[in-house]
Amino acid sequence: MSTREESGGVLSSVELNPLAVVLGSLAVLLFADLGRRLVTGKLPVSTLATFLWEGVVFGMAIGLAGIGLAMTYSILQFANFAHGDYITAGAFTGWLAAFVVAGLGSFGLSGLVLVSDTVPTGELGINVFATPLAVLVGLAVASASSAGLALALDRVVFKPMRGARGISLLIASVGVALALRHALIVLFTGSTRSLTTDVPGQTVAIGDGSVTVGAHEVTLVVVAGALMLSTHLLLRYTKLGTAMRAMADNEDLALVTGIPTERVVRTTWLVGGALTGAAGFLIALESGSMDPTFGWDLLLLVFSAVILGGIGSVYGAIVGGIIIGITRNLSLVWLPSELVLVGAFGVLIFMLLVRPQGLVGGVKTV
Amino acid sequence: MSLLAIEGLDAGYGDLQVLSDVDMAVGSEEYIAIVGPNGAGKSTVMRTVFGLADHMDGEIRFDGEGIHGLRPDQVITRGLNYVPQSDNVFPGLTVRENLEMGAYILDELPEDRLESVYDRFPILYERVDQAAGSLSGGQQQMLAMGRALMLDPDLLLLDEPSAGLAPDLVAETLDRVDRINDAGTAVLIVEQNAKEALRRCDRGYVLVDGGNRYEDTGDALLTNQQVREDFLGG
Repeated sequence: MSTREESGGVLSSVELNPLAVVLGSLAVLLFADLGRRLVTGKLPVSTLATFLWEGVVFGMAIGLAGIGLAMTYSILQFANFAHGDYITAGAFTGWLAAFVVAGLGSFGLSGLVLVSDTVPTGELGINVFATPLAVLVGLAVASASSAGLALALDRVVFKPMRGARGISLLIASVGVALALRHALIVLFTGSTRSLTTDVPGQTVAIGDGSVTVGAHEVTLVVVAGALMLSTHLLLRYTKLGTAMRAMADNEDLALVTGIPTERVVRTTWLVGGALTGAAGFLIALESGSMDPTFGWDLLLLVFSAVILGGIGSVYGAIVGGIIIGITRNLSLVWLPSELVLVGAFGVLIFMLLVRPQGLVGGVKTV
Repeated sequence: MSLLAIEGLDAGYGDLQVLSDVDMAVGSEEYIAIVGPNGAGKSTVMRTVFGLADHMDGEIRFDGEGIHGLRPDQVITRGLNYVPQSDNVFPGLTVRENLEMGAYILDELPEDRLESVYDRFPILYERVDQAAGSLSGGQQQMLAMGRALMLDPDLLLLDEPSAGLAPDLVAETLDRVDRINDAGTAVLIVEQNAKEALRRCDRGYVLVDGGNRYEDTGDALLTNQQVREDFLGG
């Protein structure tokens, strides 16, 4: 509750924790090395800028996907392991809609509905410039379907367990995750399908080289940023948003204050689900392909972002996502690409050692 | 007719029965104190009225209508409100947001109620945009009462409003309760400072082991030799 007393804890726990000191020194050394590489020209400025930009893009996606997880954690006090598959489910239904909008009349409906890799993506030609409507409809359907799915699964699985301990809910959510993932595989097959055609990127000259900024990267950053801002406005300035924060603060008090807590829970699933579906659609748009396990594969990173920011905090999830994204890509300076996740999780471990409550720790902003 | 009538109430938590055969009545504009040793079930009475403890048997009527089984958000629409003993503000919300939540069930924020709460507790107006968690204990207690007054209740249930406060703040807090009652709101209060509460109330109930032991006017209980020896420290 009281973060005030804990705010001095960063320094004191660093002093107390030798491992944290070692890791902290390592971080300083890495930054010094980064400077050296830049000065000596071993690392072109443009390469660093590319790493950073791609890190921000990935971080915004992870941050957006993390909001829903942080919300349900703070309101219902459990870590929802099905969250990754909400990302996938949203993406698949969204792309189903995008395929139908873009290809109806030219291709067989069954192939479009199955987002099948038998539909030639090059001829379908989906991208933000050629088929803006398909992208927009896809995004909307992805949001709506994940929101609906989250609500339905709450009604069927989590609502009957309301009041159960967090660990029971967590285990139930693992079951939901498995069921959902395999339902998607049965429906859509497990293959990786390509979704978009290339869009010309904008080249920005930096130093001795240039950074390529893709239109789909910009789309992801802009839409994710707008959705994050909307979430902030919802939580800060609406009655229902305030009630969500109140319930995260103290559920019993919310109840006796007359806040209809079940309605708040439903809203939380609805909003969190919608953001999650949008994140899934945008991640697939940016990468240009998807398979039925990509959300699950991202879940560990999404959890890392949420924990890094301070579990239960929406703002923490956003900040944590961006840090995880940048760290992952910045690791490429030192690590081969197969090991980039080591960097991302290294930051998480460091954070857990020096500031276990997370960046925005203790403050539940939803 | 009593505003709140509790008759033959059995209640508790799960298999644990805390209250047995409790009778209590609060008339309109009355000031009633519940005193008794720790673990007597004083808070459980209030928690049962608000549906937070399990009702097992007996009647709870407000304005003549049974209210047991109602959700808290339905209970407060009937005209009673409740300030729990601890953790009774939303620490992450601002003072104003805390008060707004008190009127959540209304479609529109009652600005006049907000004004009257600020009039009653001017310090809240000064701190209106501050997080409630940053307020002092006494100020949080005022905020909790202010939130409960947002719907202008006929009856206010206060669970140990002076708990954890410095001694000089105890009298101040109970003075505020007096003034709330003077303004026409009936008060049912659980209070550790038994003498202080009995001095101020119209009538009091001494609860022991989950049942009624004594019931009388505050003054009579204060002068009752048996009550003095057993519960008020002679």
